[in-house]
Order: sequence, then C-alpha cells, then structure tokens
Amino acid sequence: MSTRSGVPDGIGRLANVTGLHPSELAGRLGRIFARDFPWSAPAWPVGLERPAPDRRLGVDYDTSWARAYPARLARAVMTDNLTRPLMHALATPTVRGEEVLDQCVSPTIFVANHSSHIDTGLLVSILPARLRHRTVVAAAADHFFDRRWKAHLWAFALGAVPIERHRVNRRSAALATDLVDDGWNLIIFPEGGRTRDGWLQPFRGGAAYVAAHTGRPVVPAYISGTREILAKGSSRLRRNPVTVTFGRPLWVEPGEGSRHFERRIEEAVASLADEAASDFFSARRRAYSAKTPSQRGPDASPWRRAWALAPRVPAQPGGNNHAYPPGMPHTNLNTPR
Amino acid sequence: MKGLLFERNLPRFAAARVVSAIAGSGRGSAVGPLRLVDMPSPELPGPGWYHVRPILAGICGSDLATLDGRASRYFEDFVSFPFVPGHEVVGLVEGGDAALPSGTRVVLEPVLGCIARDIHPPCNACAEGHTGNCERVAFGHLAPGLQIGYCADTGGGWSKGGLVAHASQLHRVPDSLDDDSAVMVEPTACAVHAALRALEPWESTGASQNSGEASPPMVAVVGSGTLGLTTIAALRHFGGQVVVLAGAKYSHQKEMAIALGADVAVSPGELAREVRRRSRSLVASGHSTSGADVVVDCVGTGESISESLAMVRPRGRVVLVGMPSKVDIDLASLWHREVGLVGAYAYGTEQLSGRTRSTFDLAIELAGAAGIGRLVSAHYPLERFEEAVAHAGAAGRRGAAKIVFDLRAPIVKGPTNEP
Amino acid sequence: MSPRPGFVLDVDRSSPPTLFWHGEGYRLEKLPPGRSRVVYGPEPLRSLDDPVTAIRDALCNPLGESEPLPALLRPGMRLTIAFDDVSLPLPPMRSPDVRQLVIEQVLDMAAAAGVDDVVLVAALALHRRMTDAELRHALGNRIFDAFAPHGLLTQHDAEDPSNLVYLGRTDQGEDVELNRRAATSDLLVYVNINLVAMDGGHKSVATGLASYRSIRHHHNARTMQQSRSFMDQHHSELHSSNWRMGRLIASNGVKVFQVETTLNTDTFPEQFRFLQRREWEWTIRDRAAFLASSTALGRTPDKLRRSIFQSIKSPHAMTSVQAGEVEAVHARTTQSVYAQQLVSVSGQTDILTMGLPYISPYNVDSIMNPILVACLGLGYFFNLYRGKPLVREGGVVIMSHPTPWAFHPGHHPSYIDFFENVLAETTDPLQIGKFEEAYATDPWYVHLYRTGHAYHGVHPFYMWYWCAHALEHLGGVIVVGGDRAAVRRLGFKPASTLDDALEMAEDVVGRSPSITHVHNPPLLMADVT
Repeated sequence: MSTRSGVPDGIGRLANVTGLHPSELAGRLGRIFARDFPWSAPAWPVGLERPAPDRRLGVDYDTSWARAYPARLARAVMTDNLTRPLMHALATPTVRGEEVLDQCVSPTIFVANHSSHIDTGLLVSILPARLRHRTVVAAAADHFFDRRWKAHLWAFALGAVPIERHRVNRRSAALATDLVDDGWNLIIFPEGGRTRDGWLQPFRGGAAYVAAHTGRPVVPAYISGTREILAKGSSRLRRNPVTVTFGRPLWVEPGEGSRHFERRIEEAVASLADEAASDFFSARRRAYSAKTPSQRGPDASPWRRAWALAPRVPAQPGGNNHAYPPGMPHTNLNTPR
Repeated sequence: MKGLLFERNLPRFAAARVVSAIAGSGRGSAVGPLRLVDMPSPELPGPGWYHVRPILAGICGSDLATLDGRASRYFEDFVSFPFVPGHEVVGLVEGGDAALPSGTRVVLEPVLGCIARDIHPPCNACAEGHTGNCERVAFGHLAPGLQIGYCADTGGGWSKGGLVAHASQLHRVPDSLDDDSAVMVEPTACAVHAALRALEPWESTGASQNSGEASPPMVAVVGSGTLGLTTIAALRHFGGQVVVLAGAKYSHQKEMAIALGADVAVSPGELAREVRRRSRSLVASGHSTSGADVVVDCVGTGESISESLAMVRPRGRVVLVGMPSKVDIDLASLWHREVGLVGAYAYGTEQLSGRTRSTFDLAIELAGAAGIGRLVSAHYPLERFEEAVAHAGAAGRRGAAKIVFDLRAPIVKGPTNEP
Repeated sequence: MSPRPGFVLDVDRSSPPTLFWHGEGYRLEKLPPGRSRVVYGPEPLRSLDDPVTAIRDALCNPLGESEPLPALLRPGMRLTIAFDDVSLPLPPMRSPDVRQLVIEQVLDMAAAAGVDDVVLVAALALHRRMTDAELRHALGNRIFDAFAPHGLLTQHDAEDPSNLVYLGRTDQGEDVELNRRAATSDLLVYVNINLVAMDGGHKSVATGLASYRSIRHHHNARTMQQSRSFMDQHHSELHSSNWRMGRLIASNGVKVFQVETTLNTDTFPEQFRFLQRREWEWTIRDRAAFLASSTALGRTPDKLRRSIFQSIKSPHAMTSVQAGEVEAVHARTTQSVYAQQLVSVSGQTDILTMGLPYISPYNVDSIMNPILVACLGLGYFFNLYRGKPLVREGGVVIMSHPTPWAFHPGHHPSYIDFFENVLAETTDPLQIGKFEEAYATDPWYVHLYRTGHAYHGVHPFYMWYWCAHALEHLGGVIVVGGDRAAVRRLGFKPASTLDDALEMAEDVVGRSPSITHVHNPPLLMADVT
C-alpha cells in the first residue's frame, strides 16, 4: 500500500502505528528533519554560471587515504571482527595448498578465478594476518568506483583500487605497479568480471603486467563453491562450503613475454581447478602431459555449457551406471547440492 | 398541536452521535435533540404563503444524518434552530384562496429559494430556474434554511400543526396519484435531477434517445436505497436505451431494482466486476481501464466514491447523489482519467428533449408511471417517532425502503407493513 | 507382503466408521449397515527399483514404430521437450519429480549427440502459468538453471498468435492449432505423468499444446455428455476427438516421441498414513495421528490450514515408464494405471457418497473454490468408472466438502465472474455456452492468463462441462457441511450432516436406498458390472 502511494515503506509502517495518514506523517517528519539553509546545502543562484563538478571517480579516484594508518587500522578491525566471521559462517572455507601462503613474502600478487562477489572478502579473510592487513584488491573502476559513496565504501572496506577492466589504462596499471613496489600485496581477478555460467573466461593481462614490471611472484588460486553462495545476477545468499586451492608461486622467466606469462597463469589456475575436482597428484600429472581439462567449457549452446557443468542425479546404487553415453564431459566442478 | 422539534443542544448532539455510531443509524433519536412537543402553527411570513397540513411526511437520508449527528458541519450556516424536520410532504392547503382553495392536495417543493425569500432581483441560479442551487438560502427575511424542514420560521412536515409554504413551492397532486406515491414525489424529484445530471452528456447530443449507431451509455448505480431505486426508475424512464446496472445489498432491493427497470442488480461487491466484464476492460491499480460511462453514487461515503471512481471510464462522470460528508479519497485516478465528479442536489428545472420542464412535474409524471408509491414500506404515527427513525436507519436490513409519518388524526393502528 | 488388490466392503454393524475427506480436514461417518458398501482401491504397487535406469531403458527401447531416442538426435536439429504442468501429480510429489528424472536423461542424450537447439515447454493448455518455484520443483535445479536464464524454458501460451501454427482440420471439422515451436521442431519429446486413466495419449499434445480455437472442439457440454466416462478412453468422445487431432498432427509431419510414466497410489506421507489405510486396520499410532491432527486442524485458522495441506509433498513413486510412438505407449500406460487403480464392483447404487479432499488439479497452492468442488466430485470422481457409473441413473451423489465461497483472485479471476454471473442465471451445462465466447475473449482474462498466473477466462466453463455427464445422469446432488449460499448457487442442496443428507436423498431415490462410498485415498477406478 504505502509503497504504491509513493511513500517509503518505513513511513507507511510508522503511519500505521501512529494512526496518521502516511502523507501527513511524512510531512511532519519532513518538518523535523528537512530544514532549510544553513542546516542544508545552499541552492546555487540561477543567474550564476556553475563550474563543472569536480568528480574524481573511476580510475581517477584517489584511494591513498584508505592506505593511511587510521583507515588501515579501522579496516583491520573490521576484517578480523566482521568479514572473517561472516565468511566462515557462509562459506566454511577449506584451504588447500596452505603451505604456499606460509612461504609467501610481501609483496605478492594473488590471482584467482572469479564467480561471486564473495570471492574478494573470502580471499582476504583466509590470507595469514601478516599478508591480510597489507593487501589491496584490484576492483573494476566502472562498477565499484562509479559513485562517490561506493568508491569510499570499497576503498575502505576492501582496500580496493580502481582498475580499468576493458582496456589497458596507464594510470591504473601504474597505480597497481607502484603499490606492489611499495610492498602491498595485490589481489586481482584476471577474468575481468564474474563468470556467467561457471566456466572460466579468458584471462586478461593485468596480473602478468604488474608481475613483469615489479619482478614479484604470482600466486594462483582456484575458488570453488562461491557461485552457489551468490551467483552473478542472484540476490540471495545461501550457505555453501567453499574450497580454495593455492598453487605454487610463478615468477616471470628472464626474457619471457607478458603474453606468455599470462597464459602460464591461466594454465596454473585451470590445473588448480582440476586439482580441486580430483587430487593434487593426478592433476599435476595431467598438467605435465598437457591434458588438464579445459575450464573454458564446451563451445556449444548455453544450455549445453550449463549442462556440462551441473551436478547430476546418479542412478540408484547397484543400477546401471555405465549408462552415460561415451564422450559426455564429466567435470564436476561444483559440490553436488 | 403536536410536532417534532429539533433544538440546538450540544450534549444531545454528542449523545446522538455516540449512540448512533454504536447502536446503528437512527437509534440515537432517543437521546438526541429531537423532541415531541406542543407547538403552535407557524405564522404566514407574508403574501403568497399558505398553511399546509401534512398527510404523510417521509424520513429522508439527510434527516437521519442530522439526527445521528453525522451531517457535515458545512450545513451549519444553512439551518436555523429550532426547526421541525420533514421536507418530503404531501398535504392539504388550509384556508387557501382562489388560486389555491382550501383542501387542495399538494406536494411540497421545500427549497427556500429567492422567490420564497422575497429577494429581488433573484440570484443567478434562481433566475435560471435552478432553485436548488439558490445562492441566498441563508439570507433574506426568513431564517436561514436550505429547505422547509431545516428552517425555524416555516415549520416542517413532521408536525400535525403543519407548515407554511410559498405558492411557488406547492404543486397540485393529480387525483390519480395516491398519497404514498405523492409523498415520494420529493425524493423522486431528486432522483430525476440526478438521472438527468447523469445523462447530461448524452442529453446535449440527444444520443440516449436515438438507439442508433453508438451503443447505449452504461450507467452503474451504487446503492439501492430509496434514492438509488428512484434514480434507477428515472434513468429507465428518461434514459431511453441506457443500460442500468444496480448494486444492491439486500435481495428485496435487487428485486425492486429490476422491477423499476435496472438491467442487472448485483451485490455491491460484484458491481465493479460486472462493469469490468461488460466494458471488457483491463484492470490497473484496482481501476477498470474502461468502465461505465456514468456512475451514480447513491451512498455518499468515501468508500462508495472510491468504488465509483474505480469503475467509471476515463472522461466519464461520477454523480454524487447520496449526501457525502468529510471523506478520505485518493483522487489520482480522477486527475489522470479526467473523470468528472459532479454533485446532484435537489431539483429546479430540467432540459429534456430540448424542452425546459420543472423537475417536480417530471417527478409527478414518473411517480405515477413507475408506481413509486410501492417504495413506502411503513407508516408510523408521530408519537412513535423513535421507532420510526430506528426503522428508517435500518431500512435496508429490515426489508424496507421509505418510512413515513402518517399525520392523519387520530391514529389508532400501529405501523402497517405493506407488501 | 505384496500389495493387496482393491475390494468392496459390505458395511455391517461391527464395521468401524468410514473416513471421508472434508476439504482441509476429514470426518468419520457411520454408514447405515446392511445396505452400504465401501469401495477400497488396491494398495500402492511396488515402485521401480531404479527409475533412472528404467527411464534410459525405455528411451533406448521404444514401443511401436519408433527408433531409440539417441538415434533420433543429431547435431543441428531442433528439439522441443514438452512436459505436463502443475496439475500433475496430485499432491505434488517429493523431489525428484518424475519429469526431472526423465528430462535429465533426455538432455544427457541430447548433449551427447551435440544438439544445441533445445527448448523446454510446459504444456499448459489453458491452465495457469507455473511459478519459477514450481518449475524448479518439477524439473530440478540442474535443468532450471541450464535453461531458464537463457529463455529456453518456456510455457505454452495459447493466446500468442505469433507462437501458434494452424495445422488443419480433422475429418469431423475440428481445427488443430498448436504451439509453433513444438510443431516446427524436428522432434517433440512429450513427458507425461499419467495419474489417472484420462491422462496422456494423443491428448497430451493435442490438448496440452493447443489453442482455445482447437480445444473448444472437445471441451464442451456435448462432448462431455457423450464421454461415458472420459476416464475410459474407448468410450470417451473427448478422447476420440483428441485421437483424430493427434493423427492429423502426425500426418502433418510433427514427430512426437512420447514418454509416459505411471505412479503408484502412495499418496500421503507417513504422518497422514491413516488416510490411505482401511479403518479396521488402524493401529494406535494411526488413531493417535487422526485424533491429534483432526483436533489441531479444528482449531487452526482457514488460511493456515490451507497452507499446511498445500505444502504436503506426496511420496508417489514410479511404477512404469514407456516411450516411443504415442498409441503404443499409451496402451501400455493404461494397463499400468488400471493395474493400480481398477476395482471391480458389481451393480450400481442408489446413492454414491464421496469425501472431497483439499486439492483438485486446478488448485495446487490455491483455494478450492465451489466450482472446483463441483468439478472434482461430479467431473473427476463421478467419472472414475468403466462400464456403468457407480450410481444408477436418477440416483443421488452426496459429497462432503466445506465448499467455501472463496476464490483465489490471482489464479481464478474468471471463476469469480462465472460464479456470480453465469451460475446465477443457469446451472445447465448446455445453457452456459452462450456466455462462453465473452469469457474466452475477455481481454483482461487473456492478459492475466498470459502474464500472470491465471487460468484462461474460459476455464470455469470447462469445469462445468466436466460435470455435464453427471448432471444429466443424476437425480440430485447434496453437499454435506458446505457453505449454504455457495452450494445453492451451484444448484445443489446443502445438508449439515451425512444423516440429513441421506434423509434428503430418500426423497429422490425412495426408502432404504443402497449406498456406496468411494474411499479415497488411494485413488481408484470402479469397473462396474
């Protein structure tokens, strides 16, 4: 009722309690809260020309305040007391390859596949404390930094820095490189966005570029299970166990091109996906014989890509289990529901 | 002579308001400001005035609202206390002259306009014959009063002592019309006026008369009390091919609505669906996207007006016949759909088929033709006014339409319930 | 112990009272001894041990003139999979639904064959659209998530001219107009749930995927009066018409691969087990469950009681699955349905009593309005016979249901008008036809059917046509415990108790009438000789 008449729901509910008509109540509230100048901002005289607003947003947003000590301290408190418990409640993460993290020395570049908004908070909260509080996250400038309040929020909450995802932007690339040079760990999702259907998307060159220009290692990771918690396009959180598999650090070989290094990173993540679905040893063997199953999915219609990924209902135990026709993809990346 | 007097008495107003709100309309008269008293006949205010001794006097919805204390405060300036209620009256002229000899049976057109008030020149409305819209009802040499029955100087129908009325307010009753039909002439005149207000857009083009190309207008009547039923009869009688849909709460009202010419009579909750189905409209925000050409609201509550707005077509017309008071309605659809919301009060003169006619003449014609007298359900002596008013307040529920006082002296029999 | 067949109990003085469904509740009624019978259906048959494998076997070994499904699939083809809507099964079954199991196997084969162009269609006919939650329940998450986000999970729209194709006229002049996608695919796989003997066969495609223009030829009073009963396909004009249409569809080159499944009558979960047990076999636990639930339900508000019952998921299990050419498949399916449901009864009765449950095919997650009450009793239960009706001509049906004057405004908008407008004028199925056109073409009903979750404007007429055979056959209908005004509007007589109803019925059928009660659940079909 109240939303239909254009009055916010809360006021409608309050109106029910007070017995006033919503519009009347909104009017009274308005008289209390909405006060004229100087309590509110002044209006601009019509006759004066108004300068264009100074809106440094997107890649131009300056995040340095979020790396100053007060913000870092507040963020550390929040990460340890809010984000981590929340992530544990939602995802109960299992970490494979934890020893890699023990050997990590700041600064390091972490790359991972990306299937959910949960991924960022999750990765930050499973890093050891010495890395966790000195980490920034490369976040899409067009999505997280398009409004002033969003830019403030993400820069503070995640230590996000704006990255142009659709083209190489010198400013954002230079910013990331400078931060790593300054000793900050960087989390970056090279797919440039969350997956739509669960399959890996082609990697972009950002991580390889930063690694090549700083000479720091790239630690690959594969996150499985966060899509069930909050998939792209979904708005409801569900609990689901998550596994994060870390791989050995990759360094740029002398004379290695950025393109080549980028491919090696993608292969490493694909192999980790294989490992997550099977075990470390068989995944490595397949990796060395270049038989790691593709994580890009079949080149087919959308339903078949989704079908190849979905968990299947098995025949009853003792049933005729060889019934699947040969040639069916059997990759099971997700935990069956 | 005995008469019912309505005095200005605030505690009694309040008591009537409380009791009628709790016990139901009409039940407040026992504690209200209405009293049976001995009173003299009113003085003739001037030349052209006559004494009239009532035979029958009806209890009207607006009387009930006044007795219940729920009439709008808007009317405060248009009444003068103390007054004798009763404006639906058939009576006999007493001590008349050559123009109106004594004993002439007349019905009363109670509006106290400029002519009765001896105001010269008359106001614009009265000059055009729309006495109901008179601008001077609170002014002139008479005490303020919309009508006889709300004016301290004229007396009213609910008294044996009678009332005084100006010659311009008296209409001879043809011998063929019985008393029951005659007492219904005044409410019927309201209904005729309402029906013609409803049909105005077609009257001006004459569309309702020729059953030619365009489909006939659809009129939905909300409420089937006395006003609703007489309005249905008027729509049928003067509306040509018009399709009349009636919303009626009680089964006897449905039967009566059909008998008086409604095409369909359905329960109030079903009326909007009936209209939607017949107009084959869609529904958005609870409103039919199309709907009835005219909705006549004979109830006059906020709910009934909202319902009417929800079932009228864009650019259609809602006619308020039932007397409304302070209401809470969302007018967004009225604005958006350019609906006309018009009042229909009282009577005067009407334009019908290009001729100007007095509403009362039309009402007398209709009352005879449609047998409106059958709407009179019970007669009460003045002494039992509390019962009478309670009966009127619960008329629908008790299977009745119009309750009247029978002032033919002396009364021995109880109320007669005619079939 | 293998399931026992159905049988007929002759009520004697020591028989316990008999259970009657009564909407969202039940009552125990003592039937007059010596002249009453109670018909009990066969106990639930054993289900298939491994439904998934059975489905694969059926798809790979089709019946009739059909190649195995994998052989019919090839890359580049257009494949459409149609499935029954929310009206089946009743109550909705526990996950995984049969439709999910079958369609997953079909899709696995299609994926293996590299078929890219696959569309799923819910065969709604003129029923309401299913909600996302209902689709998810019927098809499972895996199918829903693979198809719905890409717009490949569709629901048949009988009012979308751009999505219909006219195939022609049968030799009896019946128009055949079908879902365009289904009719223009290289292969149409139809996945059925055959709960009662009426379901399936050519009716699946010819009705489920057809338009009003097509359906009106067999959904009318005349056809229904000539279907005796419509549950018996060999004596059903409804089926003859659908079969003519089915053959026309086949001759137009529409290749249908029919999959039909049958379920056992294991209808209610453990806590309601007593409902489908024979009363004299009730254990302490059953009696306690009956007493506890009927006491609790008596104190529950209507709305809550409705939602409790509507949330029941049935443990139905699959008893058979067959696939291939429509008529061959359907013959086998009908045998399976009969094996589960047929009970032979000798001789007709003067009075037939029935307890009507809270659910009918058209009020899943909704309100069982008076029209649906009439349809369930006189349409469905009355017609569950083969041979002769259980009740003699001129006999009386006594139904037990609260029959509230209540309608779901979202699901049944045209029912409200039908009840207020049409039934107020006449309850004769042959007379209501004159209103049909206006309801069928009412733009508001069309809009609600296409975009909301409303049954088509004409659907209440079909409910009433469904009753046509019973109304013609019977001497009277009495509803026990119903809303009086609503029952009268239906043209029936209200009674407050079964005893009163039996007394009233004697006025029609004479003194000391014979009485037969159809015990339900489990669902049964009487083979009357």
